Amino acid sequence: MKCTFCEHELTPEMLREKGCGGCLGGCRKIHCPYCGQENPIVPELLEKFLKDDKHKA
Amino acid sequence: MQSQTQTEKKIILVGNPNVGKSVVFNTMTGSYTTVSNYPGTSVEVSRGQCEIAGEHYQVLDTPGMYSLLPITEEERVARRILLEESPHVVVHVIDARNLERMLPMTLQLIEAGLPVVLLINIMDEAERVGMHVDIALLQEKLQIPVVGGAMGRAKRGLWELRDAIRDFEVSKATFNYATDLEKDIHGISELMQGDYTLNRRSLTLMLLQRDEEIAERVKDREGDRYERVEKAVNDTIFDRRVDLHLRISLERKRICNGLLGGVITQKDGNQQTFADHVSNWTMNPWTGVPLLLIVLYLGLYQFVGGFGAGTIVDFLEGAVFEEFLNPWVIGLCETYIPWYWLNELLVGEYGLFTLGVRYAVAIILPIVGTFFVAFAVIEDSGYFPRLAMLVDRVFKKIGLNGRAVIPMVLGFGCDTMATVVTRTLESTRERIIATLLLALAIPCSAQMGVILGLLSGVPGALMAWMVSMVGVFLLVGFLAAQIVPGERPMFYMEIPPMRLPQIQNVMIKTLTRMQWYFMEIFPLFMIASVLLVAGKLSGALEWLVGMFNPVMRLLGLPNEASAAFIFGFFRRDFGAAGLYDLQTEGLLDPVQLTVAAVTLTLFVPCVAQFLVMQKERGWKTSLTIFFLVTGLAFAVGWALNKFLLMTGFLV
Repeated sequence: MKCTFCEHELTPEMLREKGCGGCLGGCRKIHCPYCGQENPIVPELLEKFLKDDKHKA
Repeated sequence: MQSQTQTEKKIILVGNPNVGKSVVFNTMTGSYTTVSNYPGTSVEVSRGQCEIAGEHYQVLDTPGMYSLLPITEEERVARRILLEESPHVVVHVIDARNLERMLPMTLQLIEAGLPVVLLINIMDEAERVGMHVDIALLQEKLQIPVVGGAMGRAKRGLWELRDAIRDFEVSKATFNYATDLEKDIHGISELMQGDYTLNRRSLTLMLLQRDEEIAERVKDREGDRYERVEKAVNDTIFDRRVDLHLRISLERKRICNGLLGGVITQKDGNQQTFADHVSNWTMNPWTGVPLLLIVLYLGLYQFVGGFGAGTIVDFLEGAVFEEFLNPWVIGLCETYIPWYWLNELLVGEYGLFTLGVRYAVAIILPIVGTFFVAFAVIEDSGYFPRLAMLVDRVFKKIGLNGRAVIPMVLGFGCDTMATVVTRTLESTRERIIATLLLALAIPCSAQMGVILGLLSGVPGALMAWMVSMVGVFLLVGFLAAQIVPGERPMFYMEIPPMRLPQIQNVMIKTLTRMQWYFMEIFPLFMIASVLLVAGKLSGALEWLVGMFNPVMRLLGLPNEASAAFIFGFFRRDFGAAGLYDLQTEGLLDPVQLTVAAVTLTLFVPCVAQFLVMQKERGWKTSLTIFFLVTGLAFAVGWALNKFLLMTGFLV
């Protein structure tokens, strides 16, 4: 995925980056290492649904 | 096989993600490829073979990289490949449409002494929008082979690329930086005597930009001499007293602008697209400020305040909860539960259902939902980086720069997370000022939504709230900039293209953020309900409310407003929802509503934000901010109440 602020490519590797620990249930965002923008991590189910939908179209 | 690959010359493909490197790789290598993790990492690298003029080459497709200075693991691997694989040719693949953004890396590769061939890919798309790139002129200026291509279906440029690789000769091109910088680079380079893959000039630049991996390599190769190199680097960074990282990037950008002069032309009538015009308007103060006001009016006031906090909340709160769900659940509890305390806990004044669920589902969720839709639309259009450029000048007056737009904008979502993001600001001074302003004058999404919804029904109140917020933000920022010591870094960022928001992107982001937000706030609202019920039953809440009552009277507010302020310390949105209750019960007149909204917005950050502040800035700074913000909130509330009563505005 691309960062929604600076458009740098964000990789799954970045998920390993530690969050601030402030959110219950862990961090569901990728903080872009280039600009700091928080990008939402799309839940697997939603992603799967959208992929299936695209595939059908 | 192993010995064969070792004797093969290597072609390394590098470049930003999504410029078509993999297509070039597949086109060059056909099906003779292997994909494996790069040694010691989990990053995948593709290798394949190709034959050019009867000679065998090994081709490597590297992970995307934006610069020779790595930030991510992928970029580190890509650079390590350049450092360790001894390339015969490095093919830098760039996107013709983003030549200006990507050329600085070409410059870095050339100045590193690498054997670079530049492949300007996606030429077909560039030509479609009327762009023409003078390949021959750019080749002459860069003094390296430059090939134009479109490696998609047509494989345009493939044979020219193969010819360029076959006939490759190393270029000795150099590009000069400003005189003082050149002197620094020369002085440090001279001290290095080790054997390196990259040239010393390039290593010096990376040392000056504080690249730790390169510093380790230089230390290994220089041995005893490293101490002198390190001292020279540190002395230069200290003497210059500016952010050298930024300075070098700006110099490189300047050189690239010079190189591109006359290289890119647009066909008549195609000079600038509509998106380019809009992009320019958003960054020009004369057009940018009115556009910002339009975005705020339509996006926040009308959509979040009017539709979210008005229409949807009215329906959910009024029709669904008040008229249908609440009476039904209360009736059930009263019939089947004989214990007073349990009734209170479930459906009492601060009950789990009547307060926790209602606040979370009927008040906060529609507001943050509409806010997230507006946020995603603005975000997907590429407006935020332009907003950063627009406010850079104003932010400089308050000790920040355009870079601080990111935490500030994020603060409108959640101040706690935005406080963490202040880490991305360059100096401690900026981080302290940004943390203070976030704690003081930036309301979170739910708080702002509720307040916008409440105030939009009272003529003049919203204006008074906005003027107070902007005024306090600028005044406190300006004073903080005078008091907090430290350097003032410059701001530089690349602007991505402006585009029409995609409905699917907006939907995905909104749903994802709403899910995250709901999962996070729901348990907190339940905990807060339990605490409040416990406080009510034990009498502790009454005592706490009693403590606040004199302050409420000073602000001209009814005693009942104390609860909203206590709620506000649990969470900002919780406090705003409490204010919503007071207003719907008719306990606040327009002046009181405005004073309460201003004071509550300025009031101390919520518990989570305070804890993060402490973690990020330490006890001393966070406690100072806490007391300063509390004092300022009540002082501004008191002054505003006096002012409104005295002038008769809103009375």
